[in-house]
Amino acid sequence: MNVYLLSMAFCLVFLFVAIELIRRRKLQERYALLWLALGIPMAGFSLFPHLLESISGLLHISYAPSLLFLIGILFSLAFIMHITTVISRLQQKVTRLVQEVALLQMRLQDEGEKEA
Amino acid sequence: MKTLVIIPAYNEEQTIGQVIRSIKQHFPEADILVVNDGSTDHTGAIAKASGLAAVVDLPANLGIGGAVQTGYLYADRRGYDLAVQIDADGQHDPQELARVCGEVLSGKADCAIGSRFVSNTGYRGSLARRIGIGFFSWMVWWMCGLRIADPTSGFRAVNRKVIRLFGSDYPDDYPEVEAIVRLAQQGYKVAEVPVRMHGRQAGRSSITPFRTLYYMAKVSLALMITRIRDVS
Repeated sequence: MNVYLLSMAFCLVFLFVAIELIRRRKLQERYALLWLALGIPMAGFSLFPHLLESISGLLHISYAPSLLFLIGILFSLAFIMHITTVISRLQQKVTRLVQEVALLQMRLQDEGEKEA
Repeated sequence: MKTLVIIPAYNEEQTIGQVIRSIKQHFPEADILVVNDGSTDHTGAIAKASGLAAVVDLPANLGIGGAVQTGYLYADRRGYDLAVQIDADGQHDPQELARVCGEVLSGKADCAIGSRFVSNTGYRGSLARRIGIGFFSWMVWWMCGLRIADPTSGFRAVNRKVIRLFGSDYPDDYPEVEAIVRLAQQGYKVAEVPVRMHGRQAGRSSITPFRTLYYMAKVSLALMITRIRDVS
């Protein structure tokens, strides 16, 4: 067991989990796309390690694995930002929903009292 | 001229009854709406028991912005021409309602803010509080050139146009200052009216020391973003 086999296994399991979550409707496709966008290149790097070396060389990165860290960190930041925009949108919708439910409930009560 | 007094209330059972009765006494021509923002005490029940106010119970706590906006939505849908917002803790004196509304009714302003600083009118609050208010006052002047002595005051009257605007779009938390800058940016006229204020009668202020920093940072950011936002 070496680190190449381990990373290969990890990437394939990662992709499998992502696809399985979509299949079970626990993850919407729109968010899954981002995970696949990370998982597929990572699987590529683990299956063909020399690819990482050559791309690092092109970018003048002397220690090839640091390219992986860079990709990982940038991706995490992008994903977190994406999630906070999703939360903001959800918050707006929930606020409006709470307001509408409260106003509807009030109207129902008023009508109930009139009938009684 | 249909007028609605909006009282956002979160856990104000000790003062809400008195505030409602006082409003009815000093400003009988207006309807009263209490927006009970998911209180865990008897605020909603006491307001209903008064028999003088309509009460809307939010099923979850939205915070002051969401609560007040519910009031504006109600006012918009029921065709009110004028809406006045007043605190449930007894800080704002209902005797001043007519004066705050008058500024809007006369057409001098689209939004009138009851301010404790325009002239020397009683309660002014702690030093820290006055410094905070001074900072926001300066910030509002910097962002939109408007001189507002007490932009944090939640004692304000607005006309039909602004009711509609606030119903569709209102800041979510600590909304008072931001709302002023939004109005100014869209060309609405904002004016200040001197009013008497009291210290809070009971209950706790929602602004704890820990939240102050967030409050200052959030509102400052919101004001600057509002300045560069496309409002057309």
